[in-house]
Amino acid sequence: MEPLDNCRPLQISIGSVPLSLFIRDEALLEPAARRYREFAHDSENGFPIVLKKTEARTPESGEFSYLLDDAGLILRSQGAEFHGVRHEYALDSLLRILLTMVLLPQRGFLLHGATVVRDGRAYIFFGRSGAGKSTVASLSPKGSVLTDEISLLRYSNGCWQAHGTPFWGEFRAAGQNRLVPVAGLYLLEQASQERVETLDARQALRALLPCVLFFANEKPAHETLLRTLLGLIEQIPCHRLHFRRNAEFWRVVAA
Amino acid sequence: MNGQITRNPKLAWREVDGEMVIISPEDSQVHELNETASLVWKHSEGKTLDELAEKISAEYEVARETARADLEELLAALGEKQLMFVSPEAKG
Repeated sequence: MEPLDNCRPLQISIGSVPLSLFIRDEALLEPAARRYREFAHDSENGFPIVLKKTEARTPESGEFSYLLDDAGLILRSQGAEFHGVRHEYALDSLLRILLTMVLLPQRGFLLHGATVVRDGRAYIFFGRSGAGKSTVASLSPKGSVLTDEISLLRYSNGCWQAHGTPFWGEFRAAGQNRLVPVAGLYLLEQASQERVETLDARQALRALLPCVLFFANEKPAHETLLRTLLGLIEQIPCHRLHFRRNAEFWRVVAA
Repeated sequence: MNGQITRNPKLAWREVDGEMVIISPEDSQVHELNETASLVWKHSEGKTLDELAEKISAEYEVARETARADLEELLAALGEKQLMFVSPEAKG
């Protein structure tokens, strides 16, 4: 993967994964720099991602590829190519896909969830679209939300940590690039009364799987994902949170 | 018919609290097996229908014919979901 000549990379780090984005297109570089400003990083050895204007080429053997409308991603161990990226939203989508692949062997993954920090610990509120992630984030104190849309969980330093991400939802926060030990996982379910129900391992896995961002279609990747999720479930309690879309939920979550 | 029983080799799976959770990587579909199907999944790989029926018959104290009939029914259901197959080549 040859970086572009005379192109200074945009250095960022998401989930403690340093990335070097080689973007020649000024019209894309400026919004990208703004979008990921909280995640700027000074490492010169970031995983290289070269943005090319061309349409995605046919992937070679051993390369992972993913097509998303007009844009495409080709990934191999030394770096990645993003093809046909015309706006920051496509770049954002491809970055998410890339991260799912890069994090997987490092016991990390992305989850449709909001991460809120309370008393130095991270609470992950997850669920599919419309479950209430943005509501939970908007009901939480300013500065406590690491992400309102896509949570990044990763096992490091002997425990599960939640990382802030720049992947915004309705909340439109810029995210925070820090990591916090995970206290618990909460599957969001709207109800008439706040209640927390603890899930067993199978229920937790059943709840988590549809909410994990995952794009690989090969058996070893899925085996790794299953192993990773079960490792998480073993250490971190997983619950179903029945809530009324108001701040009362903290009463039962932090109880 | 006494074919050899095999799991679909394309599937990723893990045992969770004694029961199998299986993912089909091609479409990310998740399958969960109940206790009986999980036992079959665990113990049937490479065995023939007769061998497995014999084992179930001995362990659960049911008639061998009953065990075999139940097993055939279960394997047919698992086969429909593309989870397990009974190989026709190994008829014995």
